[in-house]
Amino acid sequence: MTDLIERELPLPGTPAQLWPALTDPEWLGCWLADEVALELRPGGEARFRFGEEQRDGWVEEVSPPAPGSAPGTTGRLCFWWQAPDEAASRVSLELIAGRDGTTLRVIEARPLEVLDLVGLPMPGDAAGGDRYGPALIAAAG
Amino acid sequence: MSGRDPAGAVFEALADPMRRRLLQTISASPSTATELAGELPISRQAVAKHLAALSQAGLLERERSGRDVRYRMTPAPLSDAVSWIAGVGGQWDERLARLAALSRPGATPPLH
Repeated sequence: MTDLIERELPLPGTPAQLWPALTDPEWLGCWLADEVALELRPGGEARFRFGEEQRDGWVEEVSPPAPGSAPGTTGRLCFWWQAPDEAASRVSLELIAGRDGTTLRVIEARPLEVLDLVGLPMPGDAAGGDRYGPALIAAAG
Repeated sequence: MSGRDPAGAVFEALADPMRRRLLQTISASPSTATELAGELPISRQAVAKHLAALSQAGLLERERSGRDVRYRMTPAPLSDAVSWIAGVGGQWDERLARLAALSRPGATPPLH
């Protein structure tokens, strides 16, 4: 079983215009966390600071939206993060073009508990994101 | 988690930020409605209303001490999963409210 949270927020503009809100550290530092550093490529490092709390993670998917507001235009950023002493969870931020503006869909999911034993694979660790990453992603899907 | 309905009642009770704050205060130490009204920026009547909602969801139990009624948290319905969903969901509500404020006309986004 996966614990899952889903939220949607309507925003003005096209997905391409809003993409920086999901990827630009300055934007992200204004709403997602106090400080955000993302290496925008699959397997890239991700760091988040909330006050004193530091969360580490890695980027799973970076799919920028096409320009324009044609229906079906989407952009998606997925990353994993993990607070100290907590299980890792996967965050998907998706921009979806609608008739009037764009919807941001947020999904945060915590995968099967058994995977918590493995912990969060970090690129560059001895274990390596390549080894455990796909398994975690498959299990979370 | 077994049984979706109790969880639904729990989420509904926790949807209100003031109720989450009340629950946080009570989880730190069992309190009376008067004590809670003293600590939070709402009236005793409003506290009583929130306490009733939290009690109905099974999150609080009443305990008589002398003439006072003290509220304490019942850990049962707040299973690990429920508390994760309530806590993380509340964090996303706050983040999205910040993003909504940034995207309002007249707001100055950090974008160049």
